[in-house]
Amino acid sequence: MTLFKIAGKNIRNNFKNYFLYFASMIFSIVIYFTFVSLKYDHTIQSASDGSPKISSAFSGAAVVLIIFVAIFIWYSNSFFTRKRKKEVGLYSLLGVRKKQIGRMLFYENFLMGVLALLVGIALGTVLSRLFVMLLMNVMGYDAMPDFGISPAAILNTITVFLIITLITSVQGYRLIYRFKLIELFRADQEREKEPRSSVWIALLSVLLVGFGYWLALQNMLTSEAWKTIGVLVTPLVILVSVILGTYLLFNTLTVTLLKLARKRKRSYWRGLNLIGTSQLLYRMKGNARTLTIIAVLSATTLTAVGTAYSLYYNNRINVALANPNSYMFIGGDKAAVNKANQAIEQASGHKVIYHESVPLLEVDADITGLGQTTGSNEQTFTVISNHTFNKLAKLQGRNDVFSLQGSDAAVLEPGYMKGISPAYEGSTILLTGKGIHEKIHFTALKTYNVLNLGTVYSTLVVSDDLFAALQPKAKTMTAQAYEITHQDKAKELTKQLETILPETAGLASFYSDYARGMESTGLMIFMGGFLGLVFLAATGSIIYFKQLTEASSDKARYLILHKIGVKKSEIRKSVAKQVLFVFALPLAAGIAHCAVALSALSNLMMTSLVVPVVSCMGIYIGIYLVYYFLTVNSYYKIVTNVK
Amino acid sequence: MKTILQAKNVNKTFGTKGNQYTALNNINLSIEEGEFVGIMGPSGAGKSTLLNIFSTIDTPTSGEIIIDGHNIVTMNEEKLSDFRRNKLGFIFQDYNLLDTLTVKENILLPLALSKVPAAEIEQRVQEIADTFGIREILDKYPYHISGGQKQRAAASRAIVANPSLILADEPTGALDSKSATRLLESLSALNQANRSTIMMVTHDANAASYCKRVIFINDGRLFMELRKGDLSRKQFFGQILEVLATLGGEEHDAV
Repeated sequence: MTLFKIAGKNIRNNFKNYFLYFASMIFSIVIYFTFVSLKYDHTIQSASDGSPKISSAFSGAAVVLIIFVAIFIWYSNSFFTRKRKKEVGLYSLLGVRKKQIGRMLFYENFLMGVLALLVGIALGTVLSRLFVMLLMNVMGYDAMPDFGISPAAILNTITVFLIITLITSVQGYRLIYRFKLIELFRADQEREKEPRSSVWIALLSVLLVGFGYWLALQNMLTSEAWKTIGVLVTPLVILVSVILGTYLLFNTLTVTLLKLARKRKRSYWRGLNLIGTSQLLYRMKGNARTLTIIAVLSATTLTAVGTAYSLYYNNRINVALANPNSYMFIGGDKAAVNKANQAIEQASGHKVIYHESVPLLEVDADITGLGQTTGSNEQTFTVISNHTFNKLAKLQGRNDVFSLQGSDAAVLEPGYMKGISPAYEGSTILLTGKGIHEKIHFTALKTYNVLNLGTVYSTLVVSDDLFAALQPKAKTMTAQAYEITHQDKAKELTKQLETILPETAGLASFYSDYARGMESTGLMIFMGGFLGLVFLAATGSIIYFKQLTEASSDKARYLILHKIGVKKSEIRKSVAKQVLFVFALPLAAGIAHCAVALSALSNLMMTSLVVPVVSCMGIYIGIYLVYYFLTVNSYYKIVTNVK
Repeated sequence: MKTILQAKNVNKTFGTKGNQYTALNNINLSIEEGEFVGIMGPSGAGKSTLLNIFSTIDTPTSGEIIIDGHNIVTMNEEKLSDFRRNKLGFIFQDYNLLDTLTVKENILLPLALSKVPAAEIEQRVQEIADTFGIREILDKYPYHISGGQKQRAAASRAIVANPSLILADEPTGALDSKSATRLLESLSALNQANRSTIMMVTHDANAASYCKRVIFINDGRLFMELRKGDLSRKQFFGQILEVLATLGGEEHDAV
């Protein structure tokens, strides 16, 4: 029997152990292949009007994926090699040369890699079509892709994964040389030492995580701490502090807590708590690193996907905030305005909900009164009258009504940030210009505008009297504001308007902002989603492998328990509890980290991210649970399989 | 006197049709309360099979086994687990202590499984530890103590829940003679003082000489039995050696 055949046989017999690794690897290959295909794909390029964004985005994502997959395969591979220490020891004892054993392991890994590559590419060619359709869908394109298989993508994938497989195979080969025969046989007998714990380090871990959280939740522009540490260094400090804290948390705090649990005899000396707690206690220290990696990966994945989904989810809200009217433009050229008006009124599939001609003034102002320390003291404002505001606000479904008198004014500032933007209310600015010298006094602030931001400057509302007084002196113009039905599907009409109206009209449409947002956030959610899934699959597999190794070394213990009369149902319960501990800890830490990161983000974006983030977490936990149940099942099977 | 174990016509065959091997052939046996019974026989005689069946870890092909009034042949898996926990105590050749638990935790495990209150557990463990002289190693882990101490810890675990029957499988097999003597003396004392019922499988005549009765099996059948009666341990040891000699092939083990 040749070494190659033995290797093949080993894979077949060990397939159950290998399955999850194999599946994760195939999944990674499929995703990588899809990303590379998208990079080379022409349909998407033409649909996105040749924007180089997509191609480079996918190249970047592919690189991240390669690094991650390489680490994952490396880890799993050394895990499998270590798991087979005994087998290798037996071969050695029988007089098989290390070189031959190494070659056998090399073949095994290489065969697996090639097999995974073949299956991955085959699946990839089928699935990538589906994924492209999905991508087009989330990006808001309706062009159906005529998606051919790209030979360049296949070649790229094969090259990259062959290299990774080769490297890891060589690694497996080298690992054998580092083993000593006596160690190979003692592998399972190595005694795990009772872990030490220190209350101080446990406290430190809580402090570190707490400090990181506190820092992250500060307002980054006004906080003293951020200023002292430096705006660029602070995120790094947060990262290091939280990761180190998490590690110490798993390393020490859990041990301390488990030891405390052991002191509470009434619950500890009850049923299998004795077994579960003591086993966890023994394993905890060795597991701390893996658990930290999983917590950090989970946090990263959740935060990235959560952010992407939040942006996608909030796209409509943000676009609507910037474009309260479906279309708005300034009518300079009468003919063009009429033509545009006609186009809008006759557009098929859209009805005009309202059409308003809005009189505007453009006025310069001296804003020293706002107390801004940075920037110029001069600013140009677009001014509308109280009457216009009330009318537009009502049309746009807002309940606000102003009744400004004399020099009272209101400011419309959709980008208002507390603490950063000037505190308008109560301050006074001076309107200047040819023949204009008016002090106005801010009495109100609204964090929205009734005009499209692309067309106008920062907007002030003044009393009707003041507006009338300013009108003859200031630069006046009339803006056209339209609201139409199905504004998010108005691709044709928008294109038409863009050609009709001159650049100076400052056309701001809901549709073009919306489509652009969908395109970029859709791309983000697509890539974030798939990268997240790959990360999740890998983290799940890592815990799964780790638990199964533990199960194999726990087998003898469970056999003893079985003999002294522990029921299988009790064993199952105890296993489920133990595995839950290992699964839940990093997930809880990951979710906590992610929640803090996203609430910092939500403060920054000033939008509530609860719905998109919770739904992301829900999906993540759901898939994670599948891994949990798989692990419990396999663990239970291993420890109760007596013979 | 109460009968603790009653085996009627117990048969055990291994293998499939055409290639059958009879490990136990029509075994009839009864053990009374407070007895200390040794089971001896050459390798392959069926000692371990018999012990496994009494332990409810294995099932007989046919026959009936009643332990403390319960027919263990008809019980299902879950009930058997409960039965093992409540009625049986085990001492194994390789100790079978859990290395993640301290000696004390190992001993109290059966009580914890039966959800005995913590205060009562504490009291029981201290009593047992005194019987076996292992009080000072209670807080150590199994890999820090000697083989003899391990086996005494294992014996403590076996009897801590006051089982109806203690089953010992070559308990002295891995011990040096001094540790073996100490363990056997402890078991013997336990048998005398608490009237605990013990069944011990051994192929060591010296170990068997601590028993009150020794049953010999050969080729899966009961061969004969010896009672100690009023004999001294030394005389009983001599008698056992004689029987072993007639069984043949076991002289080497007996020395």
